[in-house]
Amino acid sequence: MGGFSAISAGNGWLIAALGISVVFFGLASLAFIITYFPRAIRWWNDHAQSPKYTVQLLSSLFSQRETEATINADAGEGHEPGGPDDVEEALRLLTAHMKEPFKLPRLIEVAEQRGLARVHSTINRLLETGTMVGGTDGLFRWAKGSEKEGKAHSERGSGTGSKG
Amino acid sequence: MIPIDELKQYEILEELNPTELKILSAMAETTHAREGEVLIQAGLPARTLYILQEGNLMVAFPDGRAITFHKPGRVVGWSALVSPTSYTASVTCLTDCTLIAFPGSELLRLVQRNVAMGTKIMRNISKVLSRRLPFLQEEDRQRLRKGR
Repeated sequence: MGGFSAISAGNGWLIAALGISVVFFGLASLAFIITYFPRAIRWWNDHAQSPKYTVQLLSSLFSQRETEATINADAGEGHEPGGPDDVEEALRLLTAHMKEPFKLPRLIEVAEQRGLARVHSTINRLLETGTMVGGTDGLFRWAKGSEKEGKAHSERGSGTGSKG
Repeated sequence: MIPIDELKQYEILEELNPTELKILSAMAETTHAREGEVLIQAGLPARTLYILQEGNLMVAFPDGRAITFHKPGRVVGWSALVSPTSYTASVTCLTDCTLIAFPGSELLRLVQRNVAMGTKIMRNISKVLSRRLPFLQEEDRQRLRKGR
């Protein structure tokens, strides 16, 4: 007995398939780890190593996907990418990863690292309109219900073409 | 040079008489800064005291906390008057800003030479700082206590 019949007799096909699967899942796992490694490091740096932030991170990851989907759905005619409302949405996403109340200088630093435009003036507008508020402790938070108002403002802005 | 009428409306220069204001007017000058520009960097020698004329500022403390200023007359760079003269917080422009700048060394010399005027200015600065007390680090408080 030799050739293909010998392979079949010795469960060679099954062993080959198993080998291919092991290598495939190994490489897929490695790619997944490499993809999420920078995010994990960033999260580790941003937060004290408390277990409750793990829950926050996971919930923010899901809410981020929902918000991104909403932004994509809203992006139609007359929408200016990189406008003040987009920056506001991006800031909300960034603060979702931070513990609220958050540190304003850290938010600005992270936003600039992400390449957001006019971060300072957008934050100033949010502070002056009361959408973002500073506490007496020197930390900042989003005003309660401001997300809904902000969204309404955004929709008005998109409709009229005048933003800011 | 800044007009006296302009200077006397600011809290830090309250109670100063026209002669004193005239001296300050001669040393003050208007300066402009762009949105996002770091006006003051914490830890660097404090060479200038600023009064906000127009615009919006963020004062960021080394521990990451911050306060923002949106009204004219707010003072930043008080460290220029308190030894050792190094800035204790960073100041960044949230929008384009116009400020009145006082050279720290000249102002400090003036405050030390002219006791009456110095007392008024330092008292006004103390008033401003008392509102920022929660943000000051222990070493800043010690500097203020020594400066009194």
